[in-house]
Amino acid sequence: MINEAALRSRETDQAVAPRPSPEPLLRVENLSIRFDGAPKGVNVVDDVSFSLAKGKTLCIVGESGCGKSVTALSLMGLLPTPPARIVQGAAYFEGKDLFGLTERERADVRGNRTAMIFQEPMTSLNPAFTVGDQIAEGIMRHRKVSKAEAWERALEMLRRVRIPAPEKRLKAYPHEMSGGMRQRVMIAMALANDPQLLIADEPTTALDVTIQAQIISLIRRLQEESGMSMILITHDLGVVAEVADEVAVMYAGRVVESGSVEAIFEDPQHPYTIGLMGSVPSLGRRQGRLATIRGSVPPAELMPKGCRFAPRCPFAEARCATEPPPLVDVTSGHQARCWYAPLEQHRGAVL
Amino acid sequence: MTTTNNIILEGIGLVKHFGGGGLLSSPTVVRAVDGVSLQVKRGETFAIVGESGCGKSTLGRLLLRLIEATAGDVLYEGRSIRALNQRDMRRLRRELQIIFQDPFASLNPRMTVRDIIAEPIALHGLAHGEERRKRVDELLRTVGLLPAHADRYPHEFSGGQRQRIGIARALAGEPKLIIGDEPVSALDVSIQAQIINLLEDLKEKFGLTLVIVAHDLAVIRHMSDRIAVMYLGEAVELSETDDLFDNPLHPYTQALMTAIPVPSPVNRSPKPLLQGDVPSPTAPPPGCRFHTRCPHAKALCKEQHPKLETAEGGRKVACHFWRDIQNAGAGALAAPPASPALTKRLELYRTWRDRQDKAGAPGR
Repeated sequence: MINEAALRSRETDQAVAPRPSPEPLLRVENLSIRFDGAPKGVNVVDDVSFSLAKGKTLCIVGESGCGKSVTALSLMGLLPTPPARIVQGAAYFEGKDLFGLTERERADVRGNRTAMIFQEPMTSLNPAFTVGDQIAEGIMRHRKVSKAEAWERALEMLRRVRIPAPEKRLKAYPHEMSGGMRQRVMIAMALANDPQLLIADEPTTALDVTIQAQIISLIRRLQEESGMSMILITHDLGVVAEVADEVAVMYAGRVVESGSVEAIFEDPQHPYTIGLMGSVPSLGRRQGRLATIRGSVPPAELMPKGCRFAPRCPFAEARCATEPPPLVDVTSGHQARCWYAPLEQHRGAVL
Repeated sequence: MTTTNNIILEGIGLVKHFGGGGLLSSPTVVRAVDGVSLQVKRGETFAIVGESGCGKSTLGRLLLRLIEATAGDVLYEGRSIRALNQRDMRRLRRELQIIFQDPFASLNPRMTVRDIIAEPIALHGLAHGEERRKRVDELLRTVGLLPAHADRYPHEFSGGQRQRIGIARALAGEPKLIIGDEPVSALDVSIQAQIINLLEDLKEKFGLTLVIVAHDLAVIRHMSDRIAVMYLGEAVELSETDDLFDNPLHPYTQALMTAIPVPSPVNRSPKPLLQGDVPSPTAPPPGCRFHTRCPHAKALCKEQHPKLETAEGGRKVACHFWRDIQNAGAGALAAPPASPALTKRLELYRTWRDRQDKAGAPGR
């Protein structure tokens, strides 16, 4: 029989709190990360701040190299150092600064209070161990339970992620499963210790669309059941629209726009966000050519001092290349990093 | 030789089985493509859509005879290309080209961009010496790169630029038809849009016929005129694009439509989802291959294989019960219109974007 008390003890600590306090579960402040050898002043993550309330979902959207995965890895304490170094900033999780913890303390938090799932489950699962072994290992690392109890819990987790014939699957190896099933196993493993924060890095990108829909609906249901918070990292605006409460759009290491999911989709302000939305083909009838964003992200040594989007931005002026715009409120809770937001006011008349 | 009206490429009962053959091959037979017939019209964009393992890439390769079919035939301009000998086939390759998904894997890392693009020109003896040089420069410009890039190696380019190089190479032989095998799915969204626009421009400019093999339904809706939906090696529905999206007939097509995440937070609602995984193509289910996941499956579906029936508007659908389920309310995509603020700013963006292009800085 499983030791429910041991498994739930941390959860009850939370439940005792009288009311949801205004303090968010996670607050990241002015986080900057640098890769050794990068040109001076070009951080791969630059002055990134966001916060995440209990039970909510924040989506970080951006294209390859925008720093979204590096941000996530730093929160998990999984940044490879060297070459990556946190040069500035703090991340308060349940009141403690994650970056101030010792390696030992970090390991106690990771996989326990916070957990992460990745894009390609085959590379994150160990091919030499059964699924049951791998889920149980994480449980025994953080809970004082016997191996039998841990396996019992692993079985329960496979049921929760709706894996058919879970008793049989417990003894299966990762290669014996489909991509969708492996991602379910990853989720089971991540949630086995009831984390307060789940970080999902492109969890459905490698999956087919019907399987993606299954996994998204599973994650949402599990989140409702457990009340955990989630950071979902993706490049897919469709996925963002379906799951996000809050959205942060990242470009070349900086948050260029952030706000509620409604604000971002209904009232996008930053030229990059607008260009991105114009780049995605509509699901309705064809509406002419796609809008495009010119060129590609500049390499670090060519990164402008000012707005990093300036070389590609149709609205850019000389000032944009030299003076970095601040992230300012457009409306309460909706911020954009552009000198000319809202555009129709500053750029309404075409010269 | 007679040119068959406006059909440029036709697959007839194409079958491709892997394995199960000789002494050294695996005893299990993978039925990757199992009896697919389709016709591609001259000048159109034809899309083959389906999930991984449905046989769409194999079908694309069969249509170009890059792999030999187990059974069936391919007609190009009314003439069987399976009957051609190697020399004639090689000559024909000039007209039938392919662009691959992964521009990182499909370009030889030891060749310069100039050599990569010049190779087909040399092979088909289209131009020599200075003329060939000029031709490569012109091709680079055509795909939005600079002639100055010609002496670099593929690794010096970004993913989008590499895909442009792949396109330039495909264009080098002055083809009539290009098959794109997931040509944009490895690219970032903003780069993807650039390549989609480029392919459309080139199609217009050179009067090409495009066959796009892809899994992204939004990209397909944007680009294609007609669509074949594949499931486990079979074409389950063939239709004009708008008809397919407005009223999908096959339950699998309906399920695909429902599964697409709609980029608008307005109408979030739980959706009916397909259960389970695609069965293995080594042992496809009897009867209708989709019956194991189909929400409408009846006893007949387990026993009898549905024929491709003709529906209104020349559409084709392989389902016993398509007439009964088409009004079940499943499927048709309801993409809410863009918000007024987004519409306004997108228009502004396009205006300034055009201006940016006219200002003429290099690199689109």
